[in-house]
Amino acid sequence: MSKECCGPGYASPKEAMQADREKLLHTVALYVGTGVEKPDYLATVDVDPDSPTYSSVVARTEMPQVGDELHHSGWNACSSCHDDASKSRQYLLMPGVRTSNINVIDTSDDTNPKLHKVISGDEIKAKTNLSAPHTVHCLGADIIISMLGDADGNAPGGFLHINEDFDIVGRWENDITGMNYNYDFWYQPRHNMMVSSEWGAPNTFMPGFDLEDVGAGKYGQSIHFWDFEGKKIVKSIDMGADGMIPLEVRGLHDPDSNEGMFAATLSSNVFRWWKTDDGDFEIEKVIDIPTIDVDGFPVPMPSLITDILISMDDKYLYFANWLHGDLRQYDITDRANPKMTGQVWLGGMLGKAPEVNGVKVQGAPQMIQLSLDGKRLYVTTSLFSSWDNQFYPGMKDQGGQMYMIDCDTDKGGISINPDFVVDFGKEPNGPSRCHEMRYPGGDVTSDIWM
Amino acid sequence: MTADATHKVTVANRGGRELAVADGENIADACEAAGIAVPIACRYGGCITCAGRLVSGSVRQPKGTALNKRQSQDGYILMCVAQPKEDCIVEVGVETHTNLYRNPFLGPLK
Repeated sequence: MSKECCGPGYASPKEAMQADREKLLHTVALYVGTGVEKPDYLATVDVDPDSPTYSSVVARTEMPQVGDELHHSGWNACSSCHDDASKSRQYLLMPGVRTSNINVIDTSDDTNPKLHKVISGDEIKAKTNLSAPHTVHCLGADIIISMLGDADGNAPGGFLHINEDFDIVGRWENDITGMNYNYDFWYQPRHNMMVSSEWGAPNTFMPGFDLEDVGAGKYGQSIHFWDFEGKKIVKSIDMGADGMIPLEVRGLHDPDSNEGMFAATLSSNVFRWWKTDDGDFEIEKVIDIPTIDVDGFPVPMPSLITDILISMDDKYLYFANWLHGDLRQYDITDRANPKMTGQVWLGGMLGKAPEVNGVKVQGAPQMIQLSLDGKRLYVTTSLFSSWDNQFYPGMKDQGGQMYMIDCDTDKGGISINPDFVVDFGKEPNGPSRCHEMRYPGGDVTSDIWM
Repeated sequence: MTADATHKVTVANRGGRELAVADGENIADACEAAGIAVPIACRYGGCITCAGRLVSGSVRQPKGTALNKRQSQDGYILMCVAQPKEDCIVEVGVETHTNLYRNPFLGPLK
């Protein structure tokens, strides 16, 4: 495809799907809560089956400080500035939820990423009264990051605006009235809209998950629709018991589309969201995963849908049930009536797949990332260090794992690829946890079109 | 207690190393200054990463919000905000975390 005139990414989702197959994948790897007192790092994994180092970590880039809890990451530029030849997808921003530092990694040499700059958590707190950075999205030249707390770790947080030189501009939003907590967001520029979700205050979720906190209303159950240009919330919907802890929000990739999906993690429901013809916003529950009664558990176990994504052609939805231990594929051609077309088991508390590809699984399907062509879904098993230590205490000594799932994009169906496993229990400095993943060429949770 | 008092903090599971911790200083900073690696993250008492056990003595923990009542009753303190009020014996590190975390779906909440 022609690139002479163009900046990063692709002209359209259709063009993105024609891109070359990914050869490398970057994932965060953590030592927080493992007993290894070393910084978290960016692990670069070889995913080229023709390479001699296929299915192994080929580069490790240490953060400058111990204790970040790297979590999600985002590019300085994506397909939203495809028309700007001066931009490139060069820098990966890697926030530390616990330190509030934002580590900027230069990936120009993608097999040898290097630290470019750190935006210090102390500076962010002092200038914006925000902490606990989470989701990073680029908006043309600028970058905004959802921040989950104020400088003292209390709700509701807000949004940090930084410029292309990675200097703090200030707070992005004009008004957060209606927002109780913050977490993820997705924007759809052609419809002047943004959707944001709610986890909890850092002081609530960082120490671990406690049902008493749920009972006390310390976790979110609302979804917020924004006037994107006005930078203010125009509608909030409290979903009650059906919508507890809404996390990842995804939009359809078609830039003309005004709809998407998100999961309420604790309630373990998937909702569809859309903008109506008269400019209102609506949601409806489209998938409900039943709880399971487990011997020895006094309360029914939710599946805990911790990550969700939509394929680049907007045909398939994938999500992970981190407690039950399965990963699912749904055909969402009929948006209001998703049909399950595939399911695999990896680890999990139900004990259905304790060992996969010769490695004992610690945790269960958690973060997922789909190739641009929709045929390969990569999955990691760690959620968040303190929550891992509650639900899957073996991970701190055995590390997390990365697997690859082969996806049938014609008839539907998924299966665990038998030749691919990266065991972060075997890392040279000791076992680590692996979490969110990014491809150098863009992916289905990064790229948005203007 | 005078303003410039120091207290002896013995780190039981790091060879019994003894630290002189000044009034107002937290145990995590004192450990780091002495070259003892301890888990650390938020540095304001909000995140539990630095939790360890207080074997004897007493501490004040201004702004320490990360521990619930059960964890405190089990002897856990947050090293990043814990300031000794007297001589203390502590245990540090992730190896002390066996009783810190619990699966909330297993067993009744305390």
